[in-house]
Amino acid sequence: MLLETNSEDEEKWLAEGLAGLQHNAFFMHRALDSNNLRDALKYSAQMLSELRTSRLSPHKYYELYMRAFDELRKLEMFFKEEAKRGSSVIDLYELVQHSGNILPRMYLLCTIGSVYIKSKEAPSKDILKDIVEMCRGIQNPVRGLFLRSYLSQISRDKLLDIGSEYEGDGDGVINAVEFVLQNFTEMNKLWVRMHYQGPVREKEKRVKERSELRDLVGKNLHVLSQIDGVDLDMYKEIVLPRVLEQVVNCKDELAQHYLMDCIIQVFPDEYHLQTLELLLGACPQLQPTVDILTVLSQLMDRLSNYAASSPEVLPEFLQVEAFAKLSTYIGKVIDSQTEMPTFGTIGLYVSLLTFTLRVHPDRLDYVDQVLGACVKKISGKPKIEDSKATKQIVALLSAPVEKYNDIDTALKLSNYPRIMDHLDNATKKIMAVVIIQSIMNNNTCISTADKVEALFELIKGLIKDLDVTLDELDEEDFQEEQNSVARLIHMLYNDDPGEMLEIICTVRKHVLLGGPKRLAFTVPPLIFSALKLVRRLQGQERDVDGEDVYATPKKIFQILNQTIEALSSVPSPELALRLYLQCAQAANDCDLEPIAYEFFTQAFILYEEEVADSKAQVTAIQLIIGTLQRMNVFGVENRDTLTHKATGYSAKLLKKPDQCSAVYACSHLFWVDDQDGIKDGERVLLCLKRALKIANAAQQMANVAKGSSGPVTLFVEILNKYLYFFEKGNPQITSSAINGLIELIMTEMQSDNSNSVPSADAFFSSTLRYIQYQKQKGGSIGEKFELIKV
Amino acid sequence: MASRRRMLLKVIILGDSGVGKTSLMNQYVSKKFSNQYKATIGADFLTKEIQFEDRLFTLQIWDTAGQERFQSLGVAFYRGADCCVLVYDVNVAKSFDNLNNWREEFLIQASPSDPENFPFVVLGNKIDIDGGNSRVVSEKKAKAWCASKGNIPYFETSAKEGFNVEAAFQCIAKNALKNEPEEEIYLPDTIDVAGGNRQQRSSTGCEC
Repeated sequence: MLLETNSEDEEKWLAEGLAGLQHNAFFMHRALDSNNLRDALKYSAQMLSELRTSRLSPHKYYELYMRAFDELRKLEMFFKEEAKRGSSVIDLYELVQHSGNILPRMYLLCTIGSVYIKSKEAPSKDILKDIVEMCRGIQNPVRGLFLRSYLSQISRDKLLDIGSEYEGDGDGVINAVEFVLQNFTEMNKLWVRMHYQGPVREKEKRVKERSELRDLVGKNLHVLSQIDGVDLDMYKEIVLPRVLEQVVNCKDELAQHYLMDCIIQVFPDEYHLQTLELLLGACPQLQPTVDILTVLSQLMDRLSNYAASSPEVLPEFLQVEAFAKLSTYIGKVIDSQTEMPTFGTIGLYVSLLTFTLRVHPDRLDYVDQVLGACVKKISGKPKIEDSKATKQIVALLSAPVEKYNDIDTALKLSNYPRIMDHLDNATKKIMAVVIIQSIMNNNTCISTADKVEALFELIKGLIKDLDVTLDELDEEDFQEEQNSVARLIHMLYNDDPGEMLEIICTVRKHVLLGGPKRLAFTVPPLIFSALKLVRRLQGQERDVDGEDVYATPKKIFQILNQTIEALSSVPSPELALRLYLQCAQAANDCDLEPIAYEFFTQAFILYEEEVADSKAQVTAIQLIIGTLQRMNVFGVENRDTLTHKATGYSAKLLKKPDQCSAVYACSHLFWVDDQDGIKDGERVLLCLKRALKIANAAQQMANVAKGSSGPVTLFVEILNKYLYFFEKGNPQITSSAINGLIELIMTEMQSDNSNSVPSADAFFSSTLRYIQYQKQKGGSIGEKFELIKV
Repeated sequence: MASRRRMLLKVIILGDSGVGKTSLMNQYVSKKFSNQYKATIGADFLTKEIQFEDRLFTLQIWDTAGQERFQSLGVAFYRGADCCVLVYDVNVAKSFDNLNNWREEFLIQASPSDPENFPFVVLGNKIDIDGGNSRVVSEKKAKAWCASKGNIPYFETSAKEGFNVEAAFQCIAKNALKNEPEEEIYLPDTIDVAGGNRQQRSSTGCEC
């Protein structure tokens, strides 16, 4: 039927067709202007002959058709005028039938037919029936489809109000519906038949052409939906059964898929709800290759949107038991379509789930049921690995989380983890991130150990290595993931200390399985979460004395100790050291001396054995000094041991300047500015003198090594320490010592101008300004500072 | 001949799926409204006779499918349009954003001779919904866009309540009438002989 064409030829043929059409239209116009009916008919028939071509693809044919269509409107107007002037439309109707070729004749017949109906000279039913029967004369699919769509178009406005205006008897609507249904059936037959015409090698082209033509067939359904008289009853009793019959019986994949789509889209939601069984019942009868997934998804999407549109429609859904029907039929469809890919199966459940969440947000059991049904269908199949299916599963699992904005609810779904089990490891991770993000975005608090257990089971993809071969994960991605786990740990909270401790233990259990790479990310938040609990209990313990308390600081500290130990496998001594110090401080605040001492011991052991890098040592010792300074729980003996260690290590740092600043920092260990803090002025002075000595040594070393002494910064720093203790009333710190130090600094600065460092100079002059300021203050401080000469 | 041509005014309604194109047409042509969403397939028209400056015109109003998959045959029907109506839903930002695409697509496909001055009319529909509380596109924003595209007339309508629909179509008809159609001046170069030849060519085999 269709010749091999290329687009160039086609353009040429279209141009020829258009030229011929225009040519005859010109003469038709002339005839119309001079009221020459005979010529008008002759030229319009010749014009319409252009539509007899078989050489154009549907697209191009449509262009030609539209031109003819526009021209025919002029002819129609002429007919109308003729009718107004008193010409008999029946005569015209007869007259156009003299036209030689059948296609032009049919177009003319349709055109005059429309005027005929309007003239009411004969019942529209009869006229339409007459024409629709005669259209059978055109059996070429493309020409037939266009002709019939022309008939449908020109009868369109007559159908709309048939029964009221144009019809005497009460069957107007039925007649209109019958007419459209008949036209639809014939068009669908032409369309389906096209599939079997022509050589096999042109199959692809035919599919394309048929696809282009589909709207001509579907249009009939649109027309049906626009007829007012088609109420629910008529839809249910006549329209839908007849349309479905045609759809099922045509056994054509393309037609079935497209027409099901059309039915769903052109008819209103209420109708679908009330005819669910009919519509769904057709699905398992379709060809196994039909993409039923899209069809059903679209139906459920529509219904979901409808349910969401207004709460008033929800009772309709309950009344027709929409959920039960949908889930039953989806099961049936999946069973009947044995070749449906996994992603299709899951996709159907995603749609059903979306529907359920919209329509029955309160029925968690329905949601679980959907997930359960999905698990059943996919179990037994290998782990899902193709990306389409994975995407669907993620959608399936994300839907409840998004809907409830609350992972809490999802955790109640027994089938949720069972679906997770079907994911590959990469997807498990994606899902875990989705879940954590949901918790973060909604600030969901997970409040029981059981839920935490379930949650960690769900996100285990992030918590531990799932396969033996640790995949070469992008470092940045890994950090991102682990940071999200860290954030998550802070979202686990219960007001009850006992439950909170349970939560901590649960998290600990999972986190410790994470392997060295993860621990560095997950241990700190766990420690701080536990410390938060300690702070809460702090001071409470005695109040509830006697009762069997589960959560006590002591117990928590034990757990903390063991947890930090785990970091040794990383290893991350600096991190562990910091955490020990944090714990020590908390133990101090809980008045637990032995525990605080133990943490310090651990910190020192790490310092001695693990912290080797000199820079790290500096940081570590400064942290130790700072923490130790704040401790007030220690008795003299313990304190002495620890401060001794700290000062000892300070003086053993590698670089002189580091030594110096660590040593003068140690001075604070002997002077705690609290009411009952230690105030050992002598040892403070010892530290400062020692620091001065080291500073001197550093200066000399610099002289020898570089030929010039280093900046005086260290001296200025020590001067500041002197001033601090001077001000705090340490009797060992005298004004003369300070004066001496100031002098020393000034000499140094003068002797070595070339080596002056702006920052050191500024530091020094600020310090001097401070002294001036204190002097001007007056009072006892002012008096004291008067003794310092500047 | 010119007079007969001018008695028919062709109007195309474009816009995203679900903005109310069919409803506007139905409200205008037959004063009917249904709240139910029914997708449109392909394109077709309804006609309405209107009286304008003592002359009778037929308005041929083409309703189109907003969903692309229901427009399988293309848009050959754009050709010869006298006015294009762009509809959006004031409650859906995307439908407003897409107006530009619809307008450009129309100008490309219909290729009017003077695209700068081709008459468009913009309708912001569904202003009745939720008493206007759910609207996301302000009248000001819509008017600003219309002004930037060569002062396109703008109407806020409710197909449901029939609000402003009549006025909007009055304006549409008026603008359609102002549009000077590209009268394709056709002069047959050879008289009738070509017609005869063509008859020969067209009949390929079958006689239908």
